[in-house]
Amino acid sequence: MIDQEKLRDEELVALCQQGQGEYFEPLVRRYMEKAFRIALDFTRDVETAKDLSQDAFVRAFSNIRQFDGRSSFYTWFYRIVVNICLDYARRKGRVAWESLDGPSEGLGERQLADTSFSPDQEAIASEAKRRAHETLEAMPKKQRTAFLLRNHQGLSIADIAKVMKTTEGTVRVYLHRAVAALRQSLLEFV
Amino acid sequence: MERNLPLECACKSFEEDLVLYYYGEMNDTERGRVERHLSNCAACGRFIGDLRRLLPQMANSEAFAPSFWDSYYRQTMAKLARREQKESWWRDLLAPARVWMLPAFGTAAVAVLAIALVFNKGDSQRFSDRSMGAIPQEILADANQLEFFKTMDMLEALSKLEEQVDQNPEPKPERSSRLDGMQANA
Repeated sequence: MIDQEKLRDEELVALCQQGQGEYFEPLVRRYMEKAFRIALDFTRDVETAKDLSQDAFVRAFSNIRQFDGRSSFYTWFYRIVVNICLDYARRKGRVAWESLDGPSEGLGERQLADTSFSPDQEAIASEAKRRAHETLEAMPKKQRTAFLLRNHQGLSIADIAKVMKTTEGTVRVYLHRAVAALRQSLLEFV
Repeated sequence: MERNLPLECACKSFEEDLVLYYYGEMNDTERGRVERHLSNCAACGRFIGDLRRLLPQMANSEAFAPSFWDSYYRQTMAKLARREQKESWWRDLLAPARVWMLPAFGTAAVAVLAIALVFNKGDSQRFSDRSMGAIPQEILADANQLEFFKTMDMLEALSKLEEQVDQNPEPKPERSSRLDGMQANA
């Protein structure tokens, strides 16, 4: 009996490609939190993030035979998650970001409310979050993707380049522009 | 909490490096170069300070309860099972048919093509009949008359030729003589 949890991603994928779909399960366990958090960064809505990231697993599973091993499984999978999120954003337009104004949707505000800020500080922090999200929303999608994958997900620039199918130099430029834009829009809150 | 504006920029040639430095995306040599610059440049020092204050706050670090992840996992596996069931339904449907499917579909395609050709031919025939029928009777009559006049003209021309031959008899060519000879032999 093979211990599924000890197998590397590539070994699990190879078994799935041979028709043993049950070996996809450890991949779900390994990447579900990351997939969900990427989707949450893009959508700012828990239920939507859940749906989109779960759809990414279904799509990865359906297309597992197309994975050719030239990249690692997780960069291939992250690309699926990011594409699903960008498709969703394109279809929904501003809806997801506008929902930040709603009382139950603002994850950032909820997060900050848990801290020991005074009401004034909390209001300023909330405004800073709102401004940050507006700035992110206004960014070109490639800049935003590069920033979210680096800042929120901790992917290396090399991995982001693989996910986005571009060069590391281009990712550096995206990242720099995104950070500069955010700093500029948030400077008054620093 | 607020700071005096306008925005203070870092050195342009270092700004991108400072972002990479913040994210730890530099080798030792590059890091050393940036750190040397930072020790002498207040504007770049403030820039990196701003990044350290702002960027970690932007990441969503909300913790989710284990029950959330259990539910997430169960839902994901249920979706995967549904997809697998759907795919296997198709596989089951198509699997027994696989052996004879190709020749059967090929034969069916040829038969459909042949039938289509036959019916199209009939259609085109009917179309040409229809198109003839659609021509007004007056025009058809005119066409018949034209044929009649053409024939009459031709006969008239032949008569004139015969008359000319009768009036100016020419010496018979050699070929004609041989022809006559052959006819005589026969």
